[in-house]
Amino acid sequence: MGHLSKICILGGGTAGWMTAAALSNKFKNLDLEITLVESDQIGTVGVGEATLPHIRYFNQALGIDEADFMRSTEATFKLGIEFCDWGQRGDRYIHPFGDYGQPIDDLDFHQFWLKQRQAGNPHRLSEYSYPIVAAEQGRFRIPGSDTTAIGSNFGYAYQFDSSLYAGYLRRYAERLGVTRIEGRVVDVARHTETGDITAIALDNGQSVAAELFVDCSGFRGVLIEQALGSGYDDWSEWLPCNRAVAVPCESRGTLLPYTRATARTAGWQWRIPLQHRTGNGHVYWDAFISDDEAADQLMSTLDGPALADPKQLFFKTGRRRKFWNRNVVSIGLSAGFLEPLESTSIHLIQEGITTLIELFPTGRVDSRDVDEYNERMGLNFERVRDFLLLHYVATQRDDSEMWRYFRNMTLPDSLQEKITAWTSRGYVLRYEFGVFLPPSWVAVMLGQNLVPAAYDPRIDRFETPDLDTRLERIRQETASAVAETPMQADFLQRHGAASQSDPLMAARA
Amino acid sequence: MGQRMTSEPVGIVVLGGGLAGNMVTQALATHLGTSVRITQLVDGPGPVGDVLYGSATAPDAYNFLRHLGLDEPTLILKSRTSFSFGTHFRTWPDTGGWLQAHHAPLALIDGIPMRHVIARTGTLLEPLLISAQAALAGRFAHPPADPASPLSHAEYGYQFAVDDWTRLLEAEVATGTARRLTASVEAVETGEDGIIALRLETGERLAADLIIDASGVSRTGLSSLGGQFRTERTVGIYPTEATCDRTGPPCRVIEASERGWSVRAHLQDHDRILSIGAPETATGTDSGFVAALGRVERAWVGNCVAIGHAACVTEPLTPAPMMLLQRDIERLLELIPVGPDMSVERREFNRRFAADADHAALFQRALLVGRRDAGGAYWQAAATLDRPEKLDRKIRQFCHRGTLVAYDLEPFNDEDWTILHLGMGRWPKQHDRQVDRLTAATADRELTVIRDSVARMTQQMPPHDIYLTKLKQYLDRKRNA
Repeated sequence: MGHLSKICILGGGTAGWMTAAALSNKFKNLDLEITLVESDQIGTVGVGEATLPHIRYFNQALGIDEADFMRSTEATFKLGIEFCDWGQRGDRYIHPFGDYGQPIDDLDFHQFWLKQRQAGNPHRLSEYSYPIVAAEQGRFRIPGSDTTAIGSNFGYAYQFDSSLYAGYLRRYAERLGVTRIEGRVVDVARHTETGDITAIALDNGQSVAAELFVDCSGFRGVLIEQALGSGYDDWSEWLPCNRAVAVPCESRGTLLPYTRATARTAGWQWRIPLQHRTGNGHVYWDAFISDDEAADQLMSTLDGPALADPKQLFFKTGRRRKFWNRNVVSIGLSAGFLEPLESTSIHLIQEGITTLIELFPTGRVDSRDVDEYNERMGLNFERVRDFLLLHYVATQRDDSEMWRYFRNMTLPDSLQEKITAWTSRGYVLRYEFGVFLPPSWVAVMLGQNLVPAAYDPRIDRFETPDLDTRLERIRQETASAVAETPMQADFLQRHGAASQSDPLMAARA
Repeated sequence: MGQRMTSEPVGIVVLGGGLAGNMVTQALATHLGTSVRITQLVDGPGPVGDVLYGSATAPDAYNFLRHLGLDEPTLILKSRTSFSFGTHFRTWPDTGGWLQAHHAPLALIDGIPMRHVIARTGTLLEPLLISAQAALAGRFAHPPADPASPLSHAEYGYQFAVDDWTRLLEAEVATGTARRLTASVEAVETGEDGIIALRLETGERLAADLIIDASGVSRTGLSSLGGQFRTERTVGIYPTEATCDRTGPPCRVIEASERGWSVRAHLQDHDRILSIGAPETATGTDSGFVAALGRVERAWVGNCVAIGHAACVTEPLTPAPMMLLQRDIERLLELIPVGPDMSVERREFNRRFAADADHAALFQRALLVGRRDAGGAYWQAAATLDRPEKLDRKIRQFCHRGTLVAYDLEPFNDEDWTILHLGMGRWPKQHDRQVDRLTAATADRELTVIRDSVARMTQQMPPHDIYLTKLKQYLDRKRNA
């Protein structure tokens, strides 16, 4: 059996160039020709500027220098996500990349906190989390090697300009031999017997033949849907927001190492601070707010002057029924869309790429690889969906139609059981596969006022005065470690990651 | 906000005094302290079926046992426990035999998982595994922390005598806070929510909020609430012992025959042998008995939680029986009820129990399905076992191209499955494309380096018996210092 030797990636946004970079690195020096087709006339969506800590492993696997990458993409460090107004108006909490406190005798720290809270401990759980306290103060440093030590027990991600990231990876991939072709798809040729796509015809007259196509064409799904009709599972019932309006603005104030997501009456608004500008967007459900009103809400709450006109986006939450169909693998928005409330867009791209590499066809596409890919990616999407839905239903808000809709929703059994187990005894149902680990569930449930009625009875074997001492030590060590941490802007300089360009400024009248 | 915190202590009764009963009593007493009243009810020696726990643990038993007061020095000095690098399937139908070794994640070669490289080159896995080579050579030493040492990749469990550990745990329980009663249960009073009280032969009436049924296959508590056991098949068990001049290798040895199979555990001063075959093989023997393999539908019914053999009985082909007992206890500790309404705890315990038991069964069944009929009634029964879709996916994907399929929180890890698949002759038909990055000469050189370092390390390790003798001398000196 001959080796698969030609791949075509359709689409050159974040998904396309991440795929091109990873495949060209993993299969370098092999007889594998990678072509990426993109059109400058087709804009990229450019959301997904905030990431999860896993992105670091992606970059490391490519051998990317962190400081160089950050300078080139105007990146900032990210310690978590701040959620404002989600449980009730006026609430705020940070979902950190890291656990709270330290386990005591292998028992989760939050259980000790629950008991001490009952005994009158006035301190918030977040005061025992280094990444939260550091984020609140705008501080950052790289964690040390002992990841159990306070001050190093956290992960971090980045906030970056995704267009610049795509460009950065384009240069990387082209150095490794990826060929870029400019053009729009006007026709698709299919094998008469197998139905596989054999070539795509471009508006410039070129035809690109390949044995495997990776569809990174965005919402349109030019190959996976328009050509192959792979189907789409609509999840609007759970996550009904279906539009967004996005706009960058000038940076203002301290450079914060976290993303902010503020709940609104018919959706929520993001704020992503980069070195040269701040990204903003309003995700909403058009049943309860007009486009103009949504844009007005966004524009009236920016930190600084807007740098462009608001850009409108339309989407339907859900997943492609077959992520991989015949000889086409969909990655990125062509594979599905989940609102970027927890910065999962780029993560799901990364999962798609990692899984594709693990199951990369040796010769012809094999149905066993296709089945396995679809099984794994389906699980990834479903688990993210449940976690996103948690934000909307773990709330006391009922001040608008949208919030009342969520209050009356019948939840998927898996999510309902998680919430019940948590509220009854602070227990988090665990699973191994899926991006969000128990500390993330603790952060959101507690942050949105789901306070357990009881704690783990095993905590009662510890003497209360002893626990007081231990918890206070952890709190103070956390505060001390943060006090020794530089402000993010200073750390970026020290790390060689500071932008060398001037901050973007709006055109003055 | 503003909800009231309640963590109400409950009284717990443990039914049973064998390995499971003593282990769970000690675990509860250790983890709950004096906040909960614990009573253990024992009605004689441990169940005869306890031999089915199989004389072997997985590596993660170390910390679990340590928390129960059975740290390694205690096990080595006060019982006949020895070390285990795995199980040697010396003969097994349709295979050439292999060592099912305990091993840390297998090495990456130029970023490529080792299984893909050996699939491409047709290299045997076993000579690359330090725990397998040491076990085959009968040698043992503790794995060091230094990752530069090939021995650091080995993981180990224990070979043990179930009666030794039952006794050690009984002594630990006696010094703790649990109350131990010796009496038979004459009747179980039940109500809508479960068991109300146990009436004992002594006339005492023992009420409890939570009953832990560790009574083995008699399932005294669970059966009173209508708990159903699903029998998969029945087997005959015949336990024996054999003297030895010196401690055998740090692994159990399994040999298959037409009648079934036997496993030999090498303890410090003797060997324990368990022969398993069709039910009739146990008849007419002094100590033989018949056991039904399978599991209960729900391990937690009402206010009664079945653990160990009261919940699931599986063949000791692997350390699965001890892994499941440990998981039963860990799961219970995480879900001790916080009030009279146990519905949340019950649902979660049963969900996890079913997942653990079924995932362990996948591994066990992977040893049995797809084998040719080896002749006897045992193998005929094994040949009729179905292949669940989850197992089918694992085997299909590995045989296709060495892809490892894993489910949430399985008891057996990727290394266990890789070693098992290859041991069973399930060789990937295609190699992973990434391997083509390596030239044949580079792959061969990299594998040779690992193989040679494993061989050298094995030669430097002492025989298992000598290591144990010296370790005991050292521990004795330390304790007496």
